[in-house]
Amino acid sequence: MTALMEEDIKINTEEKTEKTEKGDTMSGRVIVVTSGKGGVGKTTTNANIGTALARAGKKVVMIDTDLGLRNLDLLLGLENRIVYTIVDVVEERCKLKQALVKDKKNPNLCLLAAAQTRDKTAVTEEQLKDICEELKKDFDFILVDCPAGIEQGFQNAVAGASEAIVVTTPEMSAVRDADRIIGLLEAKEEIKSYKLLINRVRPNMIESNDMMSVEDVQEILSTPIIGVIPEDAGIITSTNKGEPIVNDEKSLAGQAYSNVARRIMGEDVPLLNLKEDKSVAGKVKKFFSNLFGKEK
Amino acid sequence: MKDIFTDLYNKVLGFFRQTEEKPEEESAKDVACNRLKFVLMQDRTNLSPELMDRMRKELIELLSKYVEMDKEALELGFEQEGSQMALMLSIPVLRAKEESEIEAILAKEDEEKGSTDAEEAVDETAVSNSVEEVESSADTDESVDESEIIDAGTTSVDEVSEDIIEDSEKSEITDSVKDSKKSTSKKEEKETVVSK
Repeated sequence: MTALMEEDIKINTEEKTEKTEKGDTMSGRVIVVTSGKGGVGKTTTNANIGTALARAGKKVVMIDTDLGLRNLDLLLGLENRIVYTIVDVVEERCKLKQALVKDKKNPNLCLLAAAQTRDKTAVTEEQLKDICEELKKDFDFILVDCPAGIEQGFQNAVAGASEAIVVTTPEMSAVRDADRIIGLLEAKEEIKSYKLLINRVRPNMIESNDMMSVEDVQEILSTPIIGVIPEDAGIITSTNKGEPIVNDEKSLAGQAYSNVARRIMGEDVPLLNLKEDKSVAGKVKKFFSNLFGKEK
Repeated sequence: MKDIFTDLYNKVLGFFRQTEEKPEEESAKDVACNRLKFVLMQDRTNLSPELMDRMRKELIELLSKYVEMDKEALELGFEQEGSQMALMLSIPVLRAKEESEIEAILAKEDEEKGSTDAEEAVDETAVSNSVEEVESSADTDESVDESEIIDAGTTSVDEVSEDIIEDSEKSEITDSVKDSKKSTSKKEEKETVVSK
């Protein structure tokens, strides 16, 4: 178990991009979760942030725009409940509300699934924009799960959004692709703010200088950070069970994801310090926290 | 007996040397950071290593008219400073040139330029067949706005000579380029010359 320290680590989460935050509070916020590179945890991030926001009492809808390669339904354990997909909505085989699948546990959470049998051309940017506009009326948050790449799928996913979360890992290829995505987001007028989520961080490897640190990645990309998620084997088991890891309050990755959700809601939450506290005081603290369970 | 002692001595010494002189290898993290910075510089500026090399050569050519510098030690690269990207040029100055020396070089250059212009004019009228060729070569010669270069050159030389007076070791000229990420038209960036 990694000891959690209360002190915030010296990373500026407050630093904002030049673009200002969206001021409109009457309608829902559309946030696209994107990355450029595949396999860095976009869909996992989406499922967990969405679930955390819903747990906090917000009305949340997630849109899977990865047509042909849908997975968000699996992570949420909703794969057997999908009747209509986003393509059915666009081609007017059903109403938008009919296509929304309610989460098993949380009635605040809905999913608009991607079609598995179609490709990225089945939905256009305009159509996605319209869907987002429509959903804004009924939901606090619309989370758009973006496919990997910078082609049409990306353009579609970004079309309706005004905020973005760029998911990356402390690996060269992921950081390079994130840089590319940030460049593209910067050029989009509709995107008012974007932040970085650093996923799959391995504190031990950072400690031994074998992995880039959070500070390194932030320095290279010069983008404010919305969250740091540690590598966690629990992610695999939670995916296997179809239940986002935020539901497991003991999991460090789960805590990190719910902190991200709190930051999205405007709370000032310090980043988890993932480093092992090696001082004597830290060891004593860890001993007692292990003895008496979770210590605040 | 003596041999055993010297052997032991050497072994002990060797042991300490081993621990002390552990070659400091660059960590995987540092390698990653440096490689990334380099590759992102290329991605963001659209400048390949070949183009950077050419830029470097042209800068040397231009600046050595005004100062005598260590051409080998000239460092050129992009650095990220917050959300701004800066083109960093670091040149160890060997010696300030005499005013007369600089004037002579410039005068010679002006003369050459004048004569080539005249030659081109003659070519154009005389050989009408190869007008296109001449034009294209003229284009490549003068594609970089020369007046602009001279302007930039004179401002930077002011900065440089100031630096020479103040500290003769090293002068650094920073061309702070507007972050290419932020501007859509990378090619039309406004460059300001700032001395560090």
